[in-house]
Amino acid sequence: MSPLLRLLENEIQLCALSFLVIVYVFRILWILRFRPYRERTQPAGSERRGITYSLLNISMPWSMESVRMNRGFYLQFVIFHLGVAAAIAATFIIPYSPEVFRVRAVVLLFQVIISAALVVGLMRLSRRLRNPAVRLISTPDDYFSLLLMIVYFGAAILAVPNRYSSAEWPLILFFGLTAFFLVYVPFSKISHYLYYPFARYLLGKTLGHRGVLPPKGAKEGTDFGPLEK
Amino acid sequence: MARSKNEPPPAVRSPLETKSQDRARADNLVSVAEGRLKLYDPQADNIQKFLDLMGQRINRPLALSFAACVHCGLCAESCHYALARPNDPTMTPAYKADQIRRIFKRHKDWTGRIVPWWVHARYPKDDEELNFLKNIVFGTCSACRRCTLNCPMGVDTAALIRFTRGLLTELGIVPEGIFNVNRDQWETGNQMAVTEEEYLQTIAWVRDELESETKIRGIEIPVDRPDCDFLYVINPREIKFDPRSLADAARIFHFAREKWTLPKWGWDMTNFGLFSGDDRLGAYVAENVYQAAARLRARRIVISECGHGYRSTRWEGYNWAGHDQSLPTESVIMTLVRYLRQGRIQVNPARNPEPVTFHDSCNIARSGDLVEEPRWVLRRVCADFREMEPHGRENFCCTGGSGLLSTPEYRPLRLEAAKIKAGQLRATGARLVCTMCHNCVDGLGDVIKHYKLDLRVVQVLELVSRALTDADVKG
Repeated sequence: MSPLLRLLENEIQLCALSFLVIVYVFRILWILRFRPYRERTQPAGSERRGITYSLLNISMPWSMESVRMNRGFYLQFVIFHLGVAAAIAATFIIPYSPEVFRVRAVVLLFQVIISAALVVGLMRLSRRLRNPAVRLISTPDDYFSLLLMIVYFGAAILAVPNRYSSAEWPLILFFGLTAFFLVYVPFSKISHYLYYPFARYLLGKTLGHRGVLPPKGAKEGTDFGPLEK
Repeated sequence: MARSKNEPPPAVRSPLETKSQDRARADNLVSVAEGRLKLYDPQADNIQKFLDLMGQRINRPLALSFAACVHCGLCAESCHYALARPNDPTMTPAYKADQIRRIFKRHKDWTGRIVPWWVHARYPKDDEELNFLKNIVFGTCSACRRCTLNCPMGVDTAALIRFTRGLLTELGIVPEGIFNVNRDQWETGNQMAVTEEEYLQTIAWVRDELESETKIRGIEIPVDRPDCDFLYVINPREIKFDPRSLADAARIFHFAREKWTLPKWGWDMTNFGLFSGDDRLGAYVAENVYQAAARLRARRIVISECGHGYRSTRWEGYNWAGHDQSLPTESVIMTLVRYLRQGRIQVNPARNPEPVTFHDSCNIARSGDLVEEPRWVLRRVCADFREMEPHGRENFCCTGGSGLLSTPEYRPLRLEAAKIKAGQLRATGARLVCTMCHNCVDGLGDVIKHYKLDLRVVQVLELVSRALTDADVKG
């Protein structure tokens, strides 16, 4: 392994990761600087149940009409994010547990997942370019982030076999992109995953308090009438 | 010449009308003199004012709704404007929210401040652009919150729309219709400028009519009676245009042997603060109701059938007013549920034989807590109740919400978007569409007329009143 690759896999990754963590700490402090919302009414539901439902919403594709009616879109979402998780996992497995990728089945599994994510990435890019509504709201950051993910998936597919003895460039590309990602992500739309739990927590808290979430079905109306408020 | 569907609607080019504002200035209205009702000043640095207010008012949920949008565009499929104009990308909720989000990004977000073009961050250039923003937030969105509940990220676009409305209201950059109602509510305490004399006379007339109709002597519509079980607060529409609703309520309360009262002041539970985004107006109007309840030592507040009135009085009002809720505050639907459960009124569903469907008000189903409750009542007072699809939390707006009934300049677009509601109504095959919102009564009335549907709008109180069998015995 060349000194460049060793540096990329270790010190540079750690530096970039530290940078990401530091920026995210500032991001969270930035969010917390905005004053919280204080609810002064008596509850009609449970904030805790609302928060739980809201946070788990993403794992309940039947819960939102927009997702229920776009099952293909939801499937794409799952595949894309599995690919992201696999690629991120690879950045730790390669330098710290390289023996994992000596098992051919594991490598294949990772390559299949990441390849599927790459295809989804291309589909998402095509949708962003072809759908007038999505095109209108898309910013350069939206396109760049998506393109970056597509290239990153491509690099990850080549990198996971971890055969630096035969060719180092796929690993150099993969770890170089990872380092770039770690620095770029906090300033891009990709940091949506940082906002996600906060946004869903607060929405769940408000709507849980009001009894809107979790939704009440007709089944909760018994012969004796709806629940007491 | 036919307008191309992929062009933004003319509504977004509506100019800022200030005739009413000029008149308010000339009349030196109290609310203007005291700085509560804001007027447009073309000489002022409105952009800077807008940015200052934005900085002061953003709270954490709003900041996250600004930051968390990933531009997936799924919201387009939940918005009746976007669905009715599929070739017009400017109807996408994310696009509408982006018109304010880009200012937030330029003003507050790191990337937006350093490389604004990268994330489409931009300050508004002049008052014309603020007027464009006014047309977007007041004219192309009914703040129904349908996109909010359909957003995978939990972005509350409706809250962003209301927030922006509030900023623009502070600058006087508001549609004239919204300004007029704001003015009336500040000046008279109710949104239709009903005088106390008019209010009391109408109540007396309703009581006399009810007495002669039911042949029950001593039926009451008490005003300012202390120590009652509840204070009943109503929509000024019930005084001005539709006293039947108040009569139905009085009739039901009479048979339930209820001890209730209307207040002489603080009787309007509607609240244009919700629509204009003006939290101070919201607090003032809600506080009138809460103070009336305290003054009369009422044990609870009961809110007549009104979507935004319910949301404002039950939920937002206490937060705007800045004090904790001390009294139970409920919709009259919950009062009806209690009467039926306790056997205090007897009903016969055969009295309502027509097929009835129910339209959920956005402010109640998506921003409040009542979905099953009105259905529970309707199943007991109607012989043929049928759901419309989708319904409950997923129902589509009547298209008249959020102050849109007061803004004629946005009416053509509103009625175009109403295509979705019309299709929903038509598919039920019902003859009556019931709603627990006075605003929806007018909104649905417009849809029915425009799309020539064979339907009549009714309210829950009317159907319950018709189904009362106590009347046979006591009347």
